[in-house]
Amino acid sequence: MSAEDPRQKIPGVPRHRREFKALADGREPFFPNFLLKEWIAGAVFLAGFMLWVIYNPVILGPKADPTDTTFIPVPDWYFLFLFQFLKYFPGPDIILPGVVIPVIAILLMMFVPWLDRSKSRRPFRRPLATASMMLFIFMSIWLTAEAWGQHEVEIGAGVAQASSSNGLPFAVQHPTSKALLNTSMPGYTIFQQNCAGCHGSQLEGSVGPELRGIGNVATAQQLLPVVTKGFSPMMPPGGGLSDPKQLQSVVDWLAQQKQH
Amino acid sequence: MIKRTYDWIDERLNITPLWRDIADHDVPAHVNPANRMSSFVYCFGGLTFLMIVTQILSGMFLSMYYVPDINNAWYSVQYITNEVLLGQVVRGMHFWGASLVIIMMFLHMLRVFFTGAYKAPREMNWVVGVLIFVIVLAFGFTGYLLPWDQKAYWATSVGANLANTVPLIGPYLKSLLAGGSTIGALTLTRFFAIHVFFLPAALLVLLGLHFVMIRKAGIAGPM
Repeated sequence: MSAEDPRQKIPGVPRHRREFKALADGREPFFPNFLLKEWIAGAVFLAGFMLWVIYNPVILGPKADPTDTTFIPVPDWYFLFLFQFLKYFPGPDIILPGVVIPVIAILLMMFVPWLDRSKSRRPFRRPLATASMMLFIFMSIWLTAEAWGQHEVEIGAGVAQASSSNGLPFAVQHPTSKALLNTSMPGYTIFQQNCAGCHGSQLEGSVGPELRGIGNVATAQQLLPVVTKGFSPMMPPGGGLSDPKQLQSVVDWLAQQKQH
Repeated sequence: MIKRTYDWIDERLNITPLWRDIADHDVPAHVNPANRMSSFVYCFGGLTFLMIVTQILSGMFLSMYYVPDINNAWYSVQYITNEVLLGQVVRGMHFWGASLVIIMMFLHMLRVFFTGAYKAPREMNWVVGVLIFVIVLAFGFTGYLLPWDQKAYWATSVGANLANTVPLIGPYLKSLLAGGSTIGALTLTRFFAIHVFFLPAALLVLLGLHFVMIRKAGIAGPM
């Protein structure tokens, strides 16, 4: 401690505040002047928030049931745009909207200060940056609205009201023999190209359910309408196949999968 | 009495400069809605922080009753909702607050973007802001599972299956996320730990950086 009196008042201690006169250029100190005004905005905001909370009680859905795959999955609203995006890339391409594009988008976002190097800060003087962001906002809102609309329709129509454990209208037993049968059929090749991304190249299932032994419980005739309809939102109609001949080949092959 | 206590502490720790620095810095006119109403767009960042604070507080109270276990999680949330005094309100604050954080954060980001405030010398602050955005989305994703209702379970399944599609590391990524090959007891404890320990730690560090950097560089001037 120095020889000076330690209690001597130095400028800056609270009881010796510097005189704040309103500055000519409109600046004002953060505390207490600005914070008090900011707090008013915060208090009004909080009051509105609490009113919303009280008049919109949160509803707890039914307890999770891992065996009930008929439940139509839906994320919280702020992931809906991504969820909708997934639907446009069926099969193995789901990695694009699911992983690749979001990662690229986040990286692009991070590097915005280096991508937009123009000196001007005004939005109209840097049209590329502004247009990109407007496009992003528009796409997000459109995808969210689209997802919400489709989800409402699905809930209303009760599309996925299938009963068995795999969301299929017939139960698949999980067979012990795993070898694929009749791999010389044309349907096998088409399946590997279009369906294996979700159902697995050995029918073991990943995003989509396991299909081993499907031939034990369903005929090609029974499978065709199920595959044609698809399972919204994960499986597009026809599994993404548009050619009826190809579709027929695939269900013909699937009906042969009688593993035990 | 209060003044003497303050002086006693200040003589020993010299705390005055710490807070006077925050208190005395000038807020420029163009961000002050008291001068021009349109300046309210500069409030979005502060309001995001306010909502994050209410999220932390309501989350702390929810964790007094919540049980991260697949047999009891749903019942504990039901208990909070129906039995606990003001439980419905606190849960409502946490539920709706999550959406509001994301809305306010998005608006804040748009304000920063369209006013070009991310340009030199504030590039690093923008990067930290994007990281905060990602952390907040991770909060949303992990928190969505915790009530252990149907919606929670199946949305997380979709997320885990997406992780599985990554080439080479997909299955490892999925088991890292889910704690196993299926969404179950280990997923719930894992998401709970991430939601209440890992992410808050990361968020507080990043928010600290965000605020220190904006004090160093100052708010971007008028356009």
